[in-house]
Amino acid sequence: MGVDISGILEKRQIELGDLQGTRVAVDAYNTIYQFVSAIRQPDGTPLSDSNGMPTSHLIGLLHRNVRLISAGIRPFYVFDGFPSELKAATLEKRKQIKIRADEKYREAVEKKDMAKAYSYAMQTTRLTEDMIEESMRILDLMGIPYMTAPADGEAQASQMALKGDVWAIASQDFDSLLYGAPRLVRNLNMSGRRKMPGRREFREVHIEMIELEPNLRRLGISREQLVDIAILVGTDFNEGVRGVGAKKGLAAMLKDGSIESSQYAESIPAELLSRVRETFLHPSFIQDYGLEWRQPDGEGLTEFLCHEHEFSRESVEEALAGLKLADVTRQQSLDRWS
Amino acid sequence: MLKASAKADILKQIVDVVSTLVDEAKFNVDADGISLKAVDPAHVAMIELTLGKGAFENYEGEETELGIDIEKLKEILKLAHAGDSVRLEHNEDKNQLIIKIGAVTRRMSLVDTAGMSDPKVPNIELPTTMKLKAEELNYGIKASESVSDHIALVADETSFEMSSEGDSDSVDYKLPKEKLLQLEAKGKVRSLFPLDYFSNMAKAISSGSEVKLNLGNNYPVKLEFEIAGGNGHVRYLLAPRVES
Repeated sequence: MGVDISGILEKRQIELGDLQGTRVAVDAYNTIYQFVSAIRQPDGTPLSDSNGMPTSHLIGLLHRNVRLISAGIRPFYVFDGFPSELKAATLEKRKQIKIRADEKYREAVEKKDMAKAYSYAMQTTRLTEDMIEESMRILDLMGIPYMTAPADGEAQASQMALKGDVWAIASQDFDSLLYGAPRLVRNLNMSGRRKMPGRREFREVHIEMIELEPNLRRLGISREQLVDIAILVGTDFNEGVRGVGAKKGLAAMLKDGSIESSQYAESIPAELLSRVRETFLHPSFIQDYGLEWRQPDGEGLTEFLCHEHEFSRESVEEALAGLKLADVTRQQSLDRWS
Repeated sequence: MLKASAKADILKQIVDVVSTLVDEAKFNVDADGISLKAVDPAHVAMIELTLGKGAFENYEGEETELGIDIEKLKEILKLAHAGDSVRLEHNEDKNQLIIKIGAVTRRMSLVDTAGMSDPKVPNIELPTTMKLKAEELNYGIKASESVSDHIALVADETSFEMSSEGDSDSVDYKLPKEKLLQLEAKGKVRSLFPLDYFSNMAKAISSGSEVKLNLGNNYPVKLEFEIAGGNGHVRYLLAPRVES
């Protein structure tokens, strides 16, 4: 879900090729969730093999990473760790939405309303432990590095971007900007021509680049103030103030400087305010991560996908060719260490 | 001032370890022996050499610098047979090194050292240290040479591995801790190196020697070994290939 501050941010349309030669930290849960929610049969049934084991996450990860790697992009997947206790309410709300969507999905199937069924099915999407484990396994076999963050994956990814270890964060959510990521890339995992759910329509989805500093400069606010705007709008960690969107939040910051000095001072409990700020401005971070891209393990990938999940041999072989890493290492000079 | 004599094979060994990186080098002479620091023209690798006076049959030195054309010295030493003594004398007036091998007297003019300053040695801390036989190192290199132009050196608490990946082929040579003379590691490290440099360095180590290897993650590798029967010490530093 994330925070809705889209309305005040300027986005730039880019092409996949513009990211050539960069390392991108991918918000793993966010991305796999998209695959599982979007890769379905027309009536909304998730894709699975003949044993009923879901395969949408594997199909998505395989084909999308082939595209990224053959475009010269180096993806690094960051999985969420333990959610902050502040997030409990959000998680509970999501659970309720899924339960309701489940019921509506079944109703729609009974009424044979496929478009509705598809759209409700998307809302029921859950990532199971098995899916996450299998996602890590396929990444490993593809030679793509990943890690589990101490808490929010976007927090870890953003710190890595601030250190310069990755160039941008790929996520649909805007939270990484609050965590200080200099660049956010949206739609990286769904760009191209996409069929609209439940309809015979196609839509062109473009990759969007959102840069933090230029946006802050244009808006005339600091990152701390952007975090305050997000808190007013509502984040995964707090409810937000009813009736306040990004534009009203921005206006308050420009006028008063912070939540405390604004008309909303009473609307957010002081302790919650300081904890949510702390979460975004000083997130927990693991210093030790391996950023190493390897050649894919062809045998392992064939065994996993063809034997365990009935992928066709041709599609896996084609993918393997795309996953071959070109030599991207450069000889360093000792002067770098002098 | 330098007046010394040494066994030909010791001088040949010095020429070998230096010539892997540079064609010309400045040797620093003093009362205790000879030393050298040099970096290759591409600044990819560096050598630090010290040779105590114990490496010589007799040795008299006073602080001076000798600019030596390594290739030329290599050719001259070919005149000596194994076990021959080679006499070296610096003629300061003519700026020549006078080399006597048996009845041959060869006067070699020295290179001007004015433009040859000692390179700055990077101060790097490397987390992983191991010792192994030169033969093991060279075996791993030989295994890699038919596969790629690069070699990855990987180590953790349990093993040291040399591996290479080509377009279609790959090779690993893994040495478990028991096969190493020493291994001190904390976590896994991996760095990738240009095989031509690494191979030339390793080949300069005389067989039967032990080599100490210091490794980090995407960091230069340090190779250290003794020469001249323990009277000399060589330290090589090689910069890695790193993903850009």
